[in-house]
Amino acid sequence: MRERKREAQRRLRAQREKAGELRGRVVAISLVCFALLWGIVFVQMATGHDPVLGDTSSKVAQRSGGADRVEPKVEPVEEEFIEAEPEPEFVEPEPAPVTTSQS
Amino acid sequence: MSSEAHRSFECFGGTATIHVRGTSTASGEEAADEARSQLLDAHRRLSRFREESELARLNRDPRDEVPATLLLRRLAAAVATAGSRSGGLVDATLLGNLERAGYRHSLKGPGPFSLAEALSRRPQRAPAQPHPSRLWRSIGIDEGRGTIVRPPGVRIDSGGIAKGLVADLVGDALRKHRTYAVDCCGDIRIGGSAGGERTVRVEDPFGGDPVHELKLRDGAVATSGIGRRCWVGTDGGVAHHILDPCSGEPAFTGVVQATALASSALLAEVYAKAALLSGPEHAAEWLPHGGAVIRDDGSVDMVAAERSLGQLAVAS
Repeated sequence: MRERKREAQRRLRAQREKAGELRGRVVAISLVCFALLWGIVFVQMATGHDPVLGDTSSKVAQRSGGADRVEPKVEPVEEEFIEAEPEPEFVEPEPAPVTTSQS
Repeated sequence: MSSEAHRSFECFGGTATIHVRGTSTASGEEAADEARSQLLDAHRRLSRFREESELARLNRDPRDEVPATLLLRRLAAAVATAGSRSGGLVDATLLGNLERAGYRHSLKGPGPFSLAEALSRRPQRAPAQPHPSRLWRSIGIDEGRGTIVRPPGVRIDSGGIAKGLVADLVGDALRKHRTYAVDCCGDIRIGGSAGGERTVRVEDPFGGDPVHELKLRDGAVATSGIGRRCWVGTDGGVAHHILDPCSGEPAFTGVVQATALASSALLAEVYAKAALLSGPEHAAEWLPHGGAVIRDDGSVDMVAAERSLGQLAVAS
Protein backbone atom coordinates (compact mmCIF):
# COMPACT_ATOMS: atom_id res chain seq x y z
CA MET A 1 0.00 0.00 0.00
CA ARG A 2 2.78 2.34 1.00
CA GLU A 3 4.67 1.27 -2.12
CA ARG A 4 1.76 2.27 -4.37
CA LYS A 5 1.41 5.58 -2.63
CA ARG A 6 5.08 6.34 -3.13
CA GLU A 7 4.78 5.38 -6.80
CA ALA A 8 1.85 7.71 -7.20
CA GLN A 9 3.72 10.57 -5.62
CA ARG A 10 6.68 9.94 -7.92
CA ARG A 11 4.44 10.00 -10.99
CA LEU A 12 2.77 13.16 -9.79
CA ARG A 13 6.12 14.81 -9.26
CA ALA A 14 7.25 13.70 -12.71
CA GLN A 15 4.08 15.11 -14.25
CA ARG A 16 4.56 18.40 -12.49
CA GLU A 17 8.17 18.58 -13.62
CA LYS A 18 7.13 17.81 -17.17
CA ALA A 19 4.32 20.38 -17.03
CA GLY A 20 6.74 22.96 -15.63
CA GLU A 21 9.24 22.10 -18.31
CA LEU A 22 6.61 22.45 -21.03
CA ARG A 23 5.37 25.73 -19.55
CA GLY A 24 8.93 27.05 -19.54
CA ARG A 25 9.45 26.03 -23.15
CA VAL A 26 6.20 27.68 -24.22
CA VAL A 27 7.14 30.87 -22.41
CA ALA A 28 10.65 30.83 -23.84
CA ILE A 29 9.45 30.16 -27.39
CA SER A 30 6.80 32.90 -27.04
CA LEU A 31 9.35 35.40 -25.82
CA VAL A 32 11.77 34.49 -28.60
CA CYS A 33 9.03 34.75 -31.24
CA PHE A 34 7.82 38.04 -29.81
CA ALA A 35 11.33 39.46 -29.69
CA LEU A 36 12.07 38.18 -33.18
CA LEU A 37 8.95 39.72 -34.66
CA TRP A 38 9.53 43.03 -32.97
CA GLY A 39 13.15 42.91 -34.05
CA ILE A 40 12.08 42.48 -37.66
CA VAL A 41 9.57 45.31 -37.38
CA PHE A 42 12.08 47.53 -35.64
CA VAL A 43 14.76 46.94 -38.24
CA GLN A 44 12.29 47.54 -41.02
CA MET A 45 11.04 50.77 -39.52
CA ALA A 46 14.47 51.98 -38.52
CA THR A 47 15.81 51.49 -42.00
CA GLY A 48 12.95 53.52 -43.42
CA HIS A 49 11.05 50.65 -45.02
CA ASP A 50 7.72 51.12 -43.39
CA PRO A 51 5.50 48.62 -45.19
CA VAL A 52 2.50 50.91 -44.86
CA LEU A 53 4.31 53.79 -46.44
CA GLY A 54 5.70 51.57 -49.16
CA ASP A 55 2.38 50.03 -50.09
CA THR A 56 0.82 51.99 -52.90
CA SER A 57 -1.86 49.46 -53.62
CA SER A 58 -5.32 50.08 -52.32
CA LYS A 59 -6.38 47.83 -49.53
CA VAL A 60 -10.05 47.19 -49.85
CA ALA A 61 -12.22 46.02 -47.08
CA GLN A 62 -14.44 43.21 -48.20
CA ARG A 63 -17.78 42.47 -46.78
CA SER A 64 -18.58 38.82 -46.56
CA GLY A 65 -21.08 37.32 -48.92
CA GLY A 66 -22.12 40.27 -50.85
CA ALA A 67 -22.69 41.00 -54.40
CA ASP A 68 -22.99 44.56 -53.18
CA ARG A 69 -19.41 44.87 -52.50
CA VAL A 70 -18.45 48.33 -51.46
CA GLU A 71 -15.00 49.45 -52.36
CA PRO A 72 -14.26 52.58 -50.40
CA LYS A 73 -11.86 54.83 -52.11
CA VAL A 74 -8.62 54.61 -50.29
CA GLU A 75 -6.19 57.37 -50.98
CA PRO A 76 -2.60 56.30 -51.16
CA VAL A 77 -1.28 56.90 -47.71
CA GLU A 78 2.05 57.80 -49.18
CA GLU A 79 0.85 61.23 -50.23
CA GLU A 80 0.11 62.24 -46.69
CA PHE A 81 3.67 61.69 -45.74
CA ILE A 82 5.30 63.48 -48.61
CA GLU A 83 7.46 66.08 -47.04
CA ALA A 84 5.90 69.41 -47.86
CA GLU A 85 8.18 72.02 -49.33
CA PRO A 86 8.76 74.79 -46.81
CA GLU A 87 6.54 77.77 -47.52
CA PRO A 88 8.51 80.82 -48.63
CA GLU A 89 9.00 83.15 -45.68
CA PHE A 90 6.91 86.31 -45.96
CA VAL A 91 9.22 89.22 -46.57
CA GLU A 92 7.83 92.73 -46.63
CA PRO A 93 9.19 94.42 -49.74
CA GLU A 94 11.56 97.24 -48.97
CA PRO A 95 9.77 100.60 -49.09
CA ALA A 96 10.69 102.94 -51.90
CA PRO A 97 13.63 105.23 -51.13
CA VAL A 98 13.05 108.93 -50.60
CA THR A 99 15.33 111.92 -50.92
CA THR A 100 15.59 114.74 -48.45
CA SER A 101 16.54 118.04 -50.01
CA GLN A 102 16.41 121.69 -49.08
CA SER A 103 12.83 122.55 -48.24
CA MET B 1 0.64 91.20 -51.31
CA SER B 2 -0.15 94.88 -51.85
CA SER B 3 2.24 97.20 -53.60
CA GLU B 4 3.14 100.66 -52.38
CA ALA B 5 1.09 103.50 -53.85
CA HIS B 6 2.97 106.63 -54.92
CA ARG B 7 1.85 110.17 -55.60
CA SER B 8 4.10 113.04 -56.64
CA PHE B 9 2.80 116.55 -57.19
CA GLU B 10 3.56 120.24 -56.90
CA CYS B 11 2.88 121.60 -53.44
CA PHE B 12 4.34 124.19 -51.03
CA GLY B 13 6.53 125.60 -53.78
CA GLY B 14 8.22 122.29 -54.47
CA THR B 15 7.50 118.64 -55.10
CA ALA B 16 5.67 116.60 -52.52
CA THR B 17 5.63 112.82 -52.62
CA ILE B 18 3.46 110.26 -50.84
CA HIS B 19 4.25 106.56 -50.47
CA VAL B 20 1.71 104.25 -48.81
CA ARG B 21 1.38 100.49 -48.60
CA GLY B 22 -1.96 99.39 -47.22
CA THR B 23 -3.28 95.96 -46.39
CA SER B 24 -4.44 95.84 -49.99
CA THR B 25 -3.41 97.70 -53.11
CA ALA B 26 -6.78 99.46 -53.19
CA SER B 27 -6.51 100.70 -49.59
CA GLY B 28 -3.01 102.03 -50.28
CA GLU B 29 -4.16 103.85 -53.39
CA GLU B 30 -7.11 105.33 -51.54
CA ALA B 31 -4.92 106.46 -48.63
CA ALA B 32 -2.40 108.04 -51.03
CA ASP B 33 -5.16 110.02 -52.73
CA GLU B 34 -6.49 111.16 -49.36
CA ALA B 35 -3.01 112.19 -48.22
CA ARG B 36 -2.49 114.12 -51.45
CA SER B 37 -5.76 115.98 -50.88
CA GLN B 38 -4.72 116.81 -47.31
CA LEU B 39 -1.38 118.22 -48.44
CA LEU B 40 -2.90 120.32 -51.20
CA ASP B 41 -5.58 121.59 -48.85
CA ALA B 42 -2.96 122.54 -46.25
CA HIS B 43 -0.93 124.34 -48.92
CA ARG B 44 -3.99 126.27 -50.06
CA ARG B 45 -4.74 127.35 -46.52
CA LEU B 46 -1.22 128.09 -45.26
CA SER B 47 0.51 129.64 -48.26
CA ARG B 48 1.58 133.23 -47.67
CA PHE B 49 1.60 133.78 -51.43
CA ARG B 50 -2.15 133.25 -51.78
CA GLU B 51 -4.13 136.37 -50.95
CA GLU B 52 -7.11 134.42 -49.65
CA SER B 53 -5.27 131.81 -47.66
CA GLU B 54 -6.02 131.59 -43.94
CA LEU B 55 -2.46 132.59 -43.18
CA ALA B 56 -2.55 135.65 -45.44
CA ARG B 57 -5.80 136.75 -43.81
CA LEU B 58 -4.32 136.29 -40.36
CA ASN B 59 -1.25 138.31 -41.31
CA ARG B 60 -3.48 141.15 -42.57
CA ASP B 61 -5.87 141.10 -39.64
CA PRO B 62 -5.64 144.22 -37.46
CA ARG B 63 -7.09 142.56 -34.35
CA ASP B 64 -5.03 141.27 -31.44
CA GLU B 65 -7.05 138.11 -31.24
CA VAL B 66 -8.05 136.39 -34.45
CA PRO B 67 -10.37 133.40 -34.84
CA ALA B 68 -8.46 130.63 -36.55
CA THR B 69 -9.00 127.07 -37.73
CA LEU B 70 -7.30 124.20 -35.96
CA LEU B 71 -4.71 123.93 -38.74
CA LEU B 72 -3.79 127.60 -38.49
CA ARG B 73 -3.63 127.39 -34.70
CA ARG B 74 -1.29 124.45 -35.04
CA LEU B 75 0.93 126.46 -37.35
CA ALA B 76 1.01 129.32 -34.86
CA ALA B 77 1.87 126.87 -32.09
CA ALA B 78 4.58 125.36 -34.28
CA VAL B 79 6.10 128.82 -34.82
CA ALA B 80 6.28 129.31 -31.06
CA THR B 81 7.73 125.82 -30.61
CA ALA B 82 10.36 126.43 -33.28
CA GLY B 83 11.48 129.65 -31.65
CA SER B 84 11.54 128.08 -28.22
CA ARG B 85 13.36 124.87 -29.24
CA SER B 86 16.00 126.76 -31.24
CA GLY B 87 16.65 129.54 -28.76
CA GLY B 88 15.23 132.01 -31.25
CA LEU B 89 17.38 130.96 -34.21
CA VAL B 90 14.42 129.57 -36.11
CA ASP B 91 12.24 132.64 -36.20
CA ALA B 92 9.15 132.57 -38.41
CA THR B 93 8.23 136.19 -37.69
CA LEU B 94 10.78 137.63 -40.11
CA LEU B 95 8.38 137.95 -43.01
CA GLY B 96 9.00 141.67 -43.37
CA ASN B 97 12.76 141.13 -43.66
CA LEU B 98 12.19 138.31 -46.12
CA GLU B 99 10.04 140.51 -48.35
CA ARG B 100 12.56 143.35 -48.13
CA ALA B 101 15.25 140.90 -49.20
CA GLY B 102 13.18 140.21 -52.30
CA TYR B 103 11.25 137.03 -51.48
CA ARG B 104 7.72 138.22 -52.30
CA HIS B 105 6.64 135.51 -54.67
CA SER B 106 6.90 131.78 -54.80
CA LEU B 107 10.24 130.83 -56.35
CA LYS B 108 10.28 127.84 -58.63
CA GLY B 109 12.97 126.43 -60.83
CA PRO B 110 16.69 127.14 -60.74
CA GLY B 111 17.80 130.55 -59.49
CA PRO B 112 20.14 132.96 -61.26
CA PHE B 113 23.20 131.59 -59.41
CA SER B 114 24.68 128.21 -58.83
CA LEU B 115 25.44 127.58 -55.17
CA ALA B 116 29.18 127.81 -55.78
CA GLU B 117 28.74 131.14 -57.56
CA ALA B 118 26.49 132.49 -54.81
CA LEU B 119 29.07 131.55 -52.17
CA SER B 120 31.89 133.19 -54.10
CA ARG B 121 29.90 136.43 -54.29
CA ARG B 122 29.39 136.50 -50.52
CA PRO B 123 32.78 135.86 -48.91
CA GLN B 124 31.81 136.90 -45.37
CA ARG B 125 30.85 134.09 -42.97
CA ALA B 126 29.31 134.46 -39.54
CA PRO B 127 26.99 132.38 -37.39
CA ALA B 128 23.46 133.76 -37.06
CA GLN B 129 22.05 135.09 -33.79
CA PRO B 130 18.51 135.29 -32.46
CA HIS B 131 16.76 138.63 -32.65
CA PRO B 132 16.64 140.33 -29.23
CA SER B 133 12.93 141.13 -29.54
CA ARG B 134 12.00 137.44 -30.02
CA LEU B 135 8.65 138.28 -31.55
CA TRP B 136 7.72 134.61 -31.78
CA ARG B 137 7.19 134.76 -28.02
CA SER B 138 4.28 137.12 -28.53
CA ILE B 139 2.28 134.49 -30.42
CA GLY B 140 -0.25 132.66 -28.30
CA ILE B 141 -3.07 130.21 -28.87
CA ASP B 142 -6.40 130.18 -27.08
CA GLU B 143 -7.78 126.72 -27.78
CA GLY B 144 -10.91 127.38 -25.75
CA ARG B 145 -11.84 130.35 -27.91
CA GLY B 146 -10.30 128.95 -31.07
CA THR B 147 -8.14 132.01 -31.62
CA ILE B 148 -4.60 133.13 -32.23
CA VAL B 149 -3.38 135.98 -30.09
CA ARG B 150 -0.54 138.18 -31.27
CA PRO B 151 0.22 141.89 -31.65
CA PRO B 152 -1.09 143.22 -34.97
CA GLY B 153 1.76 143.49 -37.43
CA VAL B 154 3.50 140.33 -36.25
CA ARG B 155 3.28 138.26 -39.37
CA ILE B 156 4.02 134.58 -39.75
CA ASP B 157 6.03 132.98 -42.54
CA SER B 158 4.84 129.40 -43.03
CA GLY B 159 8.05 128.30 -44.81
CA GLY B 160 9.71 125.10 -43.70
CA ILE B 161 7.78 124.99 -40.44
CA ALA B 162 4.51 124.45 -42.29
CA LYS B 163 6.09 121.72 -44.41
CA GLY B 164 7.30 119.85 -41.35
CA LEU B 165 4.00 120.33 -39.54
CA VAL B 166 1.93 119.12 -42.48
CA ALA B 167 4.21 116.12 -43.07
CA ASP B 168 3.55 115.14 -39.45
CA LEU B 169 -0.21 115.64 -39.68
CA VAL B 170 -0.52 113.61 -42.87
CA GLY B 171 1.88 111.00 -41.48
CA ASP B 172 -0.27 110.64 -38.36
CA ALA B 173 -3.29 109.98 -40.57
CA LEU B 174 -1.36 107.20 -42.34
CA ARG B 175 0.19 105.56 -39.30
CA LYS B 176 -2.06 102.48 -39.38
CA HIS B 177 -0.91 101.50 -42.84
CA ARG B 178 1.85 98.97 -43.46
CA THR B 179 4.38 101.55 -44.61
CA TYR B 180 4.22 105.22 -45.41
CA ALA B 181 6.41 108.20 -46.20
CA VAL B 182 5.21 111.77 -46.52
CA ASP B 183 7.81 113.87 -48.27
CA CYS B 184 6.71 117.48 -48.06
CA CYS B 185 9.37 119.09 -50.24
CA GLY B 186 12.25 117.58 -48.28
CA ASP B 187 10.67 117.38 -44.83
CA ILE B 188 9.89 113.70 -44.52
CA ARG B 189 7.87 111.72 -42.02
CA ILE B 190 8.30 107.94 -42.17
CA GLY B 191 6.60 105.04 -40.41
CA GLY B 192 4.05 102.25 -40.67
CA SER B 193 2.87 99.18 -38.81
CA ALA B 194 5.20 96.85 -40.73
CA GLY B 195 8.26 98.60 -39.31
CA GLY B 196 10.23 98.29 -42.53
CA GLU B 197 13.36 100.32 -43.01
CA ARG B 198 13.21 102.97 -45.67
CA THR B 199 16.26 104.42 -47.35
CA VAL B 200 16.57 108.20 -47.17
CA ARG B 201 19.07 109.81 -49.49
CA VAL B 202 20.55 113.16 -48.64
CA GLU B 203 20.76 115.38 -51.68
CA ASP B 204 24.02 117.04 -52.63
CA PRO B 205 23.43 120.82 -52.65
CA PHE B 206 26.12 121.17 -55.32
CA GLY B 207 24.22 118.86 -57.68
CA GLY B 208 26.25 115.69 -57.38
CA ASP B 209 25.19 112.22 -56.28
CA PRO B 210 23.50 111.88 -52.88
CA VAL B 211 26.05 112.56 -50.17
CA HIS B 212 24.67 110.04 -47.74
CA GLU B 213 22.01 107.42 -47.11
CA LEU B 214 20.06 106.92 -43.92
CA LYS B 215 17.87 104.02 -42.88
CA LEU B 216 14.73 105.04 -41.09
CA ARG B 217 11.90 102.91 -39.66
CA ASP B 218 9.85 105.38 -37.69
CA GLY B 219 10.76 109.04 -37.44
CA ALA B 220 11.47 112.06 -39.52
CA VAL B 221 14.21 113.77 -41.45
CA ALA B 222 14.44 117.30 -42.79
CA THR B 223 16.98 119.29 -44.70
CA SER B 224 17.59 123.01 -44.69
CA GLY B 225 19.85 124.74 -47.17
CA ILE B 226 20.60 127.93 -48.99
CA GLY B 227 21.19 126.60 -52.50
CA ARG B 228 17.71 126.16 -53.90
CA ARG B 229 16.14 129.57 -53.40
CA CYS B 230 18.74 132.16 -54.36
CA TRP B 231 17.99 135.43 -56.09
CA VAL B 232 19.52 138.83 -56.76
CA GLY B 233 18.82 140.87 -53.65
CA THR B 234 17.77 144.50 -53.47
CA ASP B 235 21.41 145.49 -52.97
CA GLY B 236 22.35 143.63 -56.16
CA GLY B 237 24.05 140.86 -54.22
CA VAL B 238 23.11 137.29 -53.65
CA ALA B 239 20.12 136.68 -51.41
CA HIS B 240 18.41 133.54 -50.17
CA HIS B 241 15.48 132.67 -47.94
CA ILE B 242 17.18 131.69 -44.67
CA LEU B 243 17.69 134.83 -42.69
CA ASP B 244 19.88 135.66 -39.75
CA PRO B 245 17.18 136.72 -37.24
CA CYS B 246 19.44 139.34 -35.68
CA SER B 247 20.50 141.13 -38.85
CA GLY B 248 17.44 140.26 -40.94
CA GLU B 249 19.79 139.50 -43.82
CA PRO B 250 20.38 136.19 -45.63
CA ALA B 251 22.68 134.08 -43.48
CA PHE B 252 26.04 132.88 -44.81
CA THR B 253 27.40 130.88 -41.92
CA GLY B 254 29.79 128.46 -43.61
CA VAL B 255 27.15 125.72 -43.69
CA VAL B 256 25.22 125.38 -46.94
CA GLN B 257 23.01 122.49 -45.95
CA ALA B 258 22.06 120.64 -42.78
CA THR B 259 20.03 117.45 -42.46
CA ALA B 260 18.50 116.46 -39.15
CA LEU B 261 16.79 113.38 -37.79
CA ALA B 262 14.09 113.69 -35.17
CA SER B 263 10.91 112.08 -33.93
CA SER B 264 8.78 114.52 -35.93
CA ALA B 265 9.28 116.38 -39.19
CA LEU B 266 8.60 119.67 -37.45
CA LEU B 267 11.41 119.10 -34.96
CA ALA B 268 13.70 117.82 -37.71
CA GLU B 269 13.04 121.02 -39.65
CA VAL B 270 13.82 123.15 -36.57
CA TYR B 271 17.04 121.22 -35.83
CA ALA B 272 18.20 121.38 -39.45
CA LYS B 273 17.62 125.11 -39.74
CA ALA B 274 19.21 125.83 -36.37
CA ALA B 275 22.24 123.75 -37.36
CA LEU B 276 22.61 125.67 -40.61
CA LEU B 277 22.24 129.04 -38.90
CA SER B 278 24.66 128.32 -36.08
CA GLY B 279 27.58 127.69 -38.43
CA PRO B 280 30.03 124.82 -38.80
CA GLU B 281 31.47 125.08 -35.30
CA HIS B 282 28.16 124.60 -33.51
CA ALA B 283 25.98 122.84 -36.08
CA ALA B 284 26.41 119.40 -34.52
CA GLU B 285 25.05 120.68 -31.22
CA TRP B 286 21.66 121.03 -32.92
CA LEU B 287 21.55 117.47 -34.14
CA PRO B 288 20.87 115.36 -31.02
CA HIS B 289 19.42 112.52 -33.08
CA GLY B 290 22.09 112.65 -35.77
CA GLY B 291 22.33 114.15 -39.20
CA ALA B 292 24.67 115.60 -41.79
CA VAL B 293 26.24 119.02 -42.18
CA ILE B 294 27.64 120.19 -45.51
CA ARG B 295 30.05 123.08 -45.48
CA ASP B 296 30.79 125.70 -48.10
CA ASP B 297 33.65 123.65 -49.50
CA GLY B 298 31.39 120.64 -50.01
CA SER B 299 32.85 118.63 -47.13
CA VAL B 300 30.32 116.55 -45.22
CA ASP B 301 30.31 116.20 -41.44
CA MET B 302 28.32 113.20 -40.30
CA VAL B 303 26.86 113.68 -36.84
CA ALA B 304 26.16 110.60 -34.75
CA ALA B 305 23.03 110.47 -32.62
CA GLU B 306 23.50 111.45 -28.98
CA ARG B 307 20.02 110.31 -28.08
CA SER B 308 18.41 107.22 -29.50
CA LEU B 309 15.05 107.46 -31.17
CA GLY B 310 14.23 103.81 -30.65
CA GLN B 311 14.02 102.20 -34.03
CA LEU B 312 15.52 105.14 -35.79
CA ALA B 313 19.00 104.31 -36.98
CA VAL B 314 21.66 105.96 -39.07
CA ALA B 315 23.60 103.87 -41.52
CA SER B 316 26.62 104.94 -43.45
